[in-house]
Amino acid sequence: MDAFSEELMRSVEEDDQEKASVGCGPEIHLPWLSQHIQNTVSHGHKGINFAQTTSICLNFIQEALLKHQWQQASEFLQCYFQALEDFNSQKRQVALQNIWKLGSAILYHHPKSSVETFSAFADRMKNIGVQNYLKISLQHALYLLHKGMVEEAYRNLNQAESWRYGEMSASQEKLIKLIQAYRGLLDYYTWSKKRTELSKFDMDGFATSAATQDMHSYFRQASVNLHEIIKIPGVWDPFVKSYVEMLEFYGDQDGARQVLTDYAYDNNFPSNPNAHVYLYKFLKKEKAPEDKLISVLKILHQIVPSHKIMLEFHMLLRKSKKEEHHKLGLEVLFAVLDFSGCIENITAWRYFAKYLKQIMMEKHLDWVQEGWSSRKDWWPTFHFSYYLAKKNWKENKILALEKAFTSGILLGKGCKYFMYVSKQGHKVQEKSIKTMKKFVMKHNILDSKEL
Amino acid sequence: MDFPDDLFPTFFLPGPPGLSDSPGSYLAPAWSDYMQLLKPPQTQDPSVNPQHEASYVTKWGRWRSDSPGPLPFLRPGADPWDSELTSRDLLFRGRLRHPFGAKATIDVIDQLNQFLRDHGDIAFGPLGKLLQENFNLGEPKKSRKGRTVMNAERLLQDLGGHQPKGCPWAHLSTRQRRFSLLGGTVLGEEVEGLLGGLLHEELEGRWKELLLDEASTGGALGWVPGAKPHVGQLVYPAGRAYDQLNFQKVKLSPTSEPQALGDPTRILLRGPVRQVVTRTVQEEALVAVRSDHHCAVWKISRQGHPEPLQVLGMEKGATGISLSPHLPGELAVCSRSGAVCLWSPQNGLQQIHKDPETLVFKDPSSWRWADFTAHPRMLTVADRTGVRLTDVRGPSDCGELLFRVGAEASCQRGERILLAQYLGTSSPLSLSPTLHLICTQFSLYLLDERLPLVPMMKWTHALMSPPLLAQLLPPPRPGAPLPLLLGGLGGHLRMLHLSGGSSRSPQLAAPPQSLPSLGDSLPGFPVLEPHGQQLLQERLKAPLTGLTAVVPPRCPSPTMLLFQLSAAGDVFYQRLWLQPDTTSTNADSLQDSNSSTDHADDPELDSHDQTSALPSLDAAPDPGAASWNPRAVACCRRWLKTLLQVPQALPSWTPPTFSQRYLRWLKDEDKGKVREGLRAAMTEGRLLQQGDLGPLPPSEPPPAHEPFGPEDKLTERLEASWEGKGAIWWDSQQGGSQVPRKRQSREKRRTQLSSSFSSVRTTSDFSDVDGHHEAPSPLHRTSEASQSLELSQEPWARSVPRERRQTLRDYLAVLPPLDSGSRSTPQSQNPSSQNFPTSEQGRCSVPRSQNPRTQTLLSPHPGSSSAPCTQNPNSQSLFSPDPGFSSVFHSQNSSIQSLPSRHTPSLAGSQPLKKKPRMGF
Repeated sequence: MDAFSEELMRSVEEDDQEKASVGCGPEIHLPWLSQHIQNTVSHGHKGINFAQTTSICLNFIQEALLKHQWQQASEFLQCYFQALEDFNSQKRQVALQNIWKLGSAILYHHPKSSVETFSAFADRMKNIGVQNYLKISLQHALYLLHKGMVEEAYRNLNQAESWRYGEMSASQEKLIKLIQAYRGLLDYYTWSKKRTELSKFDMDGFATSAATQDMHSYFRQASVNLHEIIKIPGVWDPFVKSYVEMLEFYGDQDGARQVLTDYAYDNNFPSNPNAHVYLYKFLKKEKAPEDKLISVLKILHQIVPSHKIMLEFHMLLRKSKKEEHHKLGLEVLFAVLDFSGCIENITAWRYFAKYLKQIMMEKHLDWVQEGWSSRKDWWPTFHFSYYLAKKNWKENKILALEKAFTSGILLGKGCKYFMYVSKQGHKVQEKSIKTMKKFVMKHNILDSKEL
Repeated sequence: MDFPDDLFPTFFLPGPPGLSDSPGSYLAPAWSDYMQLLKPPQTQDPSVNPQHEASYVTKWGRWRSDSPGPLPFLRPGADPWDSELTSRDLLFRGRLRHPFGAKATIDVIDQLNQFLRDHGDIAFGPLGKLLQENFNLGEPKKSRKGRTVMNAERLLQDLGGHQPKGCPWAHLSTRQRRFSLLGGTVLGEEVEGLLGGLLHEELEGRWKELLLDEASTGGALGWVPGAKPHVGQLVYPAGRAYDQLNFQKVKLSPTSEPQALGDPTRILLRGPVRQVVTRTVQEEALVAVRSDHHCAVWKISRQGHPEPLQVLGMEKGATGISLSPHLPGELAVCSRSGAVCLWSPQNGLQQIHKDPETLVFKDPSSWRWADFTAHPRMLTVADRTGVRLTDVRGPSDCGELLFRVGAEASCQRGERILLAQYLGTSSPLSLSPTLHLICTQFSLYLLDERLPLVPMMKWTHALMSPPLLAQLLPPPRPGAPLPLLLGGLGGHLRMLHLSGGSSRSPQLAAPPQSLPSLGDSLPGFPVLEPHGQQLLQERLKAPLTGLTAVVPPRCPSPTMLLFQLSAAGDVFYQRLWLQPDTTSTNADSLQDSNSSTDHADDPELDSHDQTSALPSLDAAPDPGAASWNPRAVACCRRWLKTLLQVPQALPSWTPPTFSQRYLRWLKDEDKGKVREGLRAAMTEGRLLQQGDLGPLPPSEPPPAHEPFGPEDKLTERLEASWEGKGAIWWDSQQGGSQVPRKRQSREKRRTQLSSSFSSVRTTSDFSDVDGHHEAPSPLHRTSEASQSLELSQEPWARSVPRERRQTLRDYLAVLPPLDSGSRSTPQSQNPSSQNFPTSEQGRCSVPRSQNPRTQTLLSPHPGSSSAPCTQNPNSQSLFSPDPGFSSVFHSQNSSIQSLPSRHTPSLAGSQPLKKKPRMGF
């Protein structure tokens, strides 16, 4: 009977929602729509029903939270429990989630709360609704981890993992995998602790082998779980890192490389720059051939041209014997300096000035012009304005000199930046300015074009 | 740039929004907002290094306000403000069967009813004209062959000059009843079919606008730092039509209140200001303004004077404008046509994206938004469904999605993007300069442009109004988290604390905080009588349309000044301090109380412990809460005093007290006068009065009655007024010594208007009210630019209720041009002086709408141009001394029409009406 009436209620509600979407025009769902309608309807009549008091109470709790009045919020939350008596099962679900969300927030911040209180609350909430068990368990474990209680968290995750209730939905299966992955991460923590212990103390043979065995069992537990989660598309940086570290330790280089390659190049995964960085670092440690390293960083260069590893990439390209790599090396520096976050990166400017000089000497003017052509309309204001010349000279003279040199090459000796810095620098570092001027007079892409 | 090397684990599953069991929705960042404060487990053992970091409050302190609510900063504007439409005005007010299954029904019937009652002339006029030939309305006998002419004279007699439409209980004769029964269906269908549809459309538009007013996205309050650190300028719109851009100099001081220096510089525009963006790049301060159909840029000179740079017309309507944080003078503008352009006054326009369809899935909204990124040649292009990174140099259709309303970010069903803002910071140590803020109606997302589609952070803001304003502030102390302000249109303010340098992903460093809104200031004002109280309350409840925070220089403790602009045109401010947490004995002692013996010190808190089972509303008063100090109260009182002096807004509509019947019987020469009167009234946006239409036709006086005495003044007066000479009688009674009061007040109003004509001028805040016959400033006379602007403003818009402005604008657009020239001096407007130079009568004025070159700044109807964003050097560079251009204005200036010899001055041209006036909804 109850189920039937709920069914009835739901169908009525769905009907109404459809109408609402017709009334408000676009399909956009606006949370304040019902408030507007309430204002219209409730004007003039005073009775407040159950649902209204519940939503008012929810507002009070949220307000108290935003004012950091934890005590007050907790008191309001006690009144909110009435929402659990709603006839509508969907609303009951929402109320449950609200109570967990708000309650955990209050307990997290409340000055009087302790881990025990939080755990008691979480355990209580876990068992109210079947659907929430896994979510709350995971949150609870994260909370315990945050408080540094690894063992508690581990026990919690273990418990959640072994929990079964009828058939699991697809999402619950994924959630279980996530829980297992976190447990695997904790296993890894233990593993790495044991490893340092093992390396620190000299033990006799028997103890060593026992400890190694113990360690190995942790590895097995962790690797099974971590391996599972890594297959699902997502961002799994800590999991991948720890899994690879363990594989490396046991000498499974191929396995580790495979994991990292999959993580970086699987199209179902988001384009995570870290995946490429991990792979690069792994290959570098493995002393992989330079071409291999370059090809990895080439992709990273396309995704995140501003990454700090790009300077390393540039050095790699410079050392390479291929001419196309030398050309790419210039393009990489150009791209790094495009970004506002790298404007004052002195290393990048030093590399750039040095490399420009080298390229000009090698008479690869066309490379510079190619990189410059898409930048000539905005780099002068972005990097080489008069204002920046003054500012850089005042704040960092070395940076100003590097920039002045590049500006001279790219814009000729008439460039404001070059003129300002060389004039100012003349008083301080006469010699270096003179050599710079001399070089710029001879080599700059403006004059070369005319020739 | 560093990229965080450990990201929070999360699922990545593409899909439509609202997948109820998308696993992403279970994850910590998405599922529990407050739990977000948890750090992601690092790949080092947390038990070795448990994250017992000091909480934000103990480490940095707490942001506290000086007063419980914001205080008025500038005196209220001289124009009255009528509150916005509410849902109550639009929706059907019946009782709902299921009050929680939200159901909005637009109440067309009531509106139509009102409209027919008030504007029957307009509703039935056209039909009447068609039928006129078949009815004889008392003219000299007319008959035409092959046509049945009905005699309606008796019917009119029955009506007898009454207006039964104003009175539902009026007596109906049988003849009238018969006529209405026969004609009702025909008349009704006509009106219903044509008008009803249009009205419904209009009301639906209004309702949508009420739910989500996208015009004010981004906010219309800006701050321009001055040459000296303690002086800056607030830029905001003022005036009833928001068409006056004010630049108010403000002096900041580390300890005392901010001070407005002198009077604002005002620029009158020809359209409402919707968005103001300010940015200082390489010491060049720019102000960009978006109106409905125009965008404009000003440069602020070193002395703080705004210098206009360029204006851009957008036929389809502009939806967003942003200034580049990298290159001075570069802007991104978006149009409703789906085009996004890079605009710089030097290099012109460059279209970088054009797509009438939305990015991810189909959405009817034509709202577009664009902002810059960490790369000066990359822009974000946003609509309601997604945000895309687009390279300016590449083809327009390439680029990758930065954000998508979908399962990746575990969005809900019906979730849409309301704001997308680049959070570039100048100091990369505090926060990565690659972050973008995206707000939907439910949540706030932070995305790093280097890792698209995966939000770095998500927080459910639970605001009950659209969050359209956001600002990221520099860290109050080196290394401290950055405050991020979020403002809802309803006035709700939130402050978030973002931490995480360039090598860590951004996180909330403390639980978000709410800040007092304008409504919280109500207790600071003295209690008024109900009427005034309501006025004040409505004023304080006005939507929040602008928000800007300023950090005063050289403060002993970290401070910020928060300026808020409301739709009523009020600028309020609030001072927030980051105070070391010494006062919160609450938190500290309680933390100890778990383990230590601190209990005795805190009897109050102990009692809480005991009573915590019982909810008590007034429990735990915040020890650091501010209270109303006398200075704040005095400030509020002063503001209120000025507010109450502002004349009340006219009632939005009262039925006219004249009947169109009189118009029909007017002689031809009278008709011209009536038209002029009509036009004059519309120009001024006031109610049409009997006086505007000429004398009433003489009607028979009522039967005389016995005089009450030898000197029956009442009868005399009644008789006089019956003949329309009431005023004259009154004058004669007053001995003719006083100038008719009505005329005086009208003069006053007119001079006010004319005195506000000058475009760039500096007058006192209230000179519009007090200083009448002020001489035009020298700037006013000499500057060509100001002269052109002079014409560009529309004084009528100031006194017209906002909801009718558009209708009036539409209407005026088809009218022959107003003779604006005659208004440039106050004298020429003096209604009593009728000796206008008649020699210039012959000159014909140039209709404004026909000459594309006279297209001026922010005109409501831009000339038809083919491209959605046109940049016509002729029409836009009105500030350049273009001789041809100014000559157009001269010809317009000098054409002064002869004025009719009525009391009401008519500013209308002599061209006939092209369209029937439509006042109304």
